[in-house]
Amino acid sequence: MKTKTLQIISLVSISISILLSGCEEKTTNIDVVHDSGKPVMALDYRDFDQAASSLVQSMLASGALKKDDGSRYVVATGRVVNDTMQRIDTDQLMAKIEEEILNSGQAVMTSAVGSGTDKLIHETRELRDSEEFDQSSIAARGTLLAPELSISGKIFQRNIRYDKKRQQVEYYFQLKLSDAKTGLRFWQKEIIVGKRGSSKSVAW
Amino acid sequence: MKKLILFYVSVAFLAFGCGEERGDSRIKVREGVGSDNIVSNVVTRPVAKAFSALMGEGIEIDEAILRRNNAGFLELHVNGHNRSYDTKRFRYRVEWLDSDGLVIETKTSVWLRTSAMGKSPFSFKVVAPRKNAVDFRMDTRKWE
Repeated sequence: MKTKTLQIISLVSISISILLSGCEEKTTNIDVVHDSGKPVMALDYRDFDQAASSLVQSMLASGALKKDDGSRYVVATGRVVNDTMQRIDTDQLMAKIEEEILNSGQAVMTSAVGSGTDKLIHETRELRDSEEFDQSSIAARGTLLAPELSISGKIFQRNIRYDKKRQQVEYYFQLKLSDAKTGLRFWQKEIIVGKRGSSKSVAW
Repeated sequence: MKKLILFYVSVAFLAFGCGEERGDSRIKVREGVGSDNIVSNVVTRPVAKAFSALMGEGIEIDEAILRRNNAGFLELHVNGHNRSYDTKRFRYRVEWLDSDGLVIETKTSVWLRTSAMGKSPFSFKVVAPRKNAVDFRMDTRKWE
């Protein structure tokens, strides 16, 4: 009798676990090119894609990166402030923009200064007095090029109560391109991504 | 009853011909702003709208103009109009092709959003981020 009860209990347990595993939401990979997923209140990769695409198109079309003598500008990425309630690495936006500027053939990005600094560029220069290194393989003084243009910007968020049940979240992507020598601004653009949804949704 | 149906069908047909606003075609005077006409009349408006929805009217592309801007990049200017009475929100994605007809990979070829108000023209511009772009292909889909 005891064995039979144990058998029934284990059968029920197995059945429940099979049923539960059947109800579990499956993990799927996102088709990042043709994603038809529902929008979310927070910023997702589609918003960054859209903002970066619009900003790059505007910057290239403006002709601000076109040098009269046909050579290429040296561009540095300055500070891009995240003033949203979300933990955003602003590189998520800037990496796309820098890639497109580079591939456009109109400018080169510098890793010597700015937020995209490569520490190794400076570390290798500190080896000038080291006997362990062939000094001819170390960059000479005065070889780094200073940036002629700098890109800086800001991403900020405004939360507005739309009605009793809904909220409106506005995200602003602002970017500007300035001449490092004169301080003059050659180009700037703002992209707004607006979302309206349940007040219960948390936009951070 | 038959006469009533005939009246509404006639009105709907008329609406297609008389829906265009008079005056300067560049200026759109919408319902509630301008004077009523046979389409925007409070009685006939629902019929015209229902007929338009029944016909499945949507956006139409009138022309796609390609030109190279001063910076040397190819620009695509798309002009179209929305035949429907409702605002149509849609997405578009432009891929750029090189001289061999091959797709140029770029971060700017993403689904972008736009919208066109009912019975109105619309236009948007897309810029190729590479100078070797010579042609394009564009796709559209609903904005969910």
